[in-house]
Amino acid sequence: MVITLLLLLPVMLFLFYSFDPATDPFFPFCPFHAVTGLECPGCGSQRAIHSLLHLRLGDALAYNALLVAALPYIFLGIWLEWLGGGKRFPRLKHFFFGRWSALAVLLLLLLFWVGRNIF
Amino acid sequence: MNRYFYIDKEGKQRGTFSPEELRREQINKETLVWTQGMEQWKRAAEVEELSLLFSGSAPAQQPQPAYGQAQPLTGQESAAPVQMPKSWLVESILVTILPFMFCSSFFSLLGIIAIVYAAQVESFFNRGDYAAAVEASRAAGKWTRIAMWIAIGWVLLIIIGIILFFVFVGSIAGLGELLDI
Repeated sequence: MVITLLLLLPVMLFLFYSFDPATDPFFPFCPFHAVTGLECPGCGSQRAIHSLLHLRLGDALAYNALLVAALPYIFLGIWLEWLGGGKRFPRLKHFFFGRWSALAVLLLLLLFWVGRNIF
Repeated sequence: MNRYFYIDKEGKQRGTFSPEELRREQINKETLVWTQGMEQWKRAAEVEELSLLFSGSAPAQQPQPAYGQAQPLTGQESAAPVQMPKSWLVESILVTILPFMFCSSFFSLLGIIAIVYAAQVESFFNRGDYAAAVEASRAAGKWTRIAMWIAIGWVLLIIIGIILFFVFVGSIAGLGELLDI
C-alpha cells in the first residue's frame, strides 16, 4: 500500500505541476459542489497544490487555506509513523495523533466547511 | 514507576496498577504480572520492582492456580499483551484528510469509521480489556486499508482519465490533419 502511494506520488506531482486545475478541464470535480453549489472542505485543494508547486503561497491560501495548513500535518504524520519519528518522540505522536487530536481534526474540518460557505 | 497487569484467580487479566496499588490487590509471589517492556508474563516474585511487595510480611496465601489458567492466554496469543495493539490513528487520520485533496470527500466517511475504531483501541487497552483493544485495532486497520485502496483507485482513475483525455485530443488532432490532407 505504502509502495503504491510512493509510486503514485511523483505522477500526481508531475500532473499537478504541469497542468492547472483552474483552467484545464480534465481534473475531477467535487460532487458535493456540483450538487449543492456549496464548497466542501477540500474544494480548491487541487488548485492550491498547483499554486504551491509553483511557489505561489498567496494563491494557495486563497484557494484552500486548510490544505496549506494540513500539508505540514500530513508530513508530520508520515514522519512519525513511517520514518521512525514516533519511536523517538512518542509524546509528540500522542499529542498530534492521539484520540483527541483526531476529534480536533474532524471538528476543524467541520468548522472550515461551515465557515467557508458563510463568509 | 511501571504500571502492571496481572492475571487474577479467575484467569482474567486486570490492570493497570502501580506497584503501590498492586499491594492492595490480591496478588502473591506466584501471580503472573506483565508491564511495558516485558517479553512475557512473569511471576511477581521475579520482577524486581515488585519483589519489594513480598519482602516484608508476605501474606501466606495459597499459591493460586494462576499458572494453569493463564497458560492458555499466554500460549494462544503468544506474547499477546506485550504492547498496545497498533492504534492506526495516524493512518486513519491521514486517510480521512487525503480524499479532500482529490475531490472525493465522500470517501472520507470510510476514514472517519476507521478513526472511531482507532480511538477505541487506546481506551480499551487502558481499561485492561485487551481482547477488545485487539478487535478494535483489527477493525481500524480494515477500514483504513479499505479507505486507502479506494483512494488509490480514485487517484489511478484520475491519472487514467487524464491520459485518455490526451489520447482523445491527440486523435482528434490527428483526424483533423488527416481530413485536411
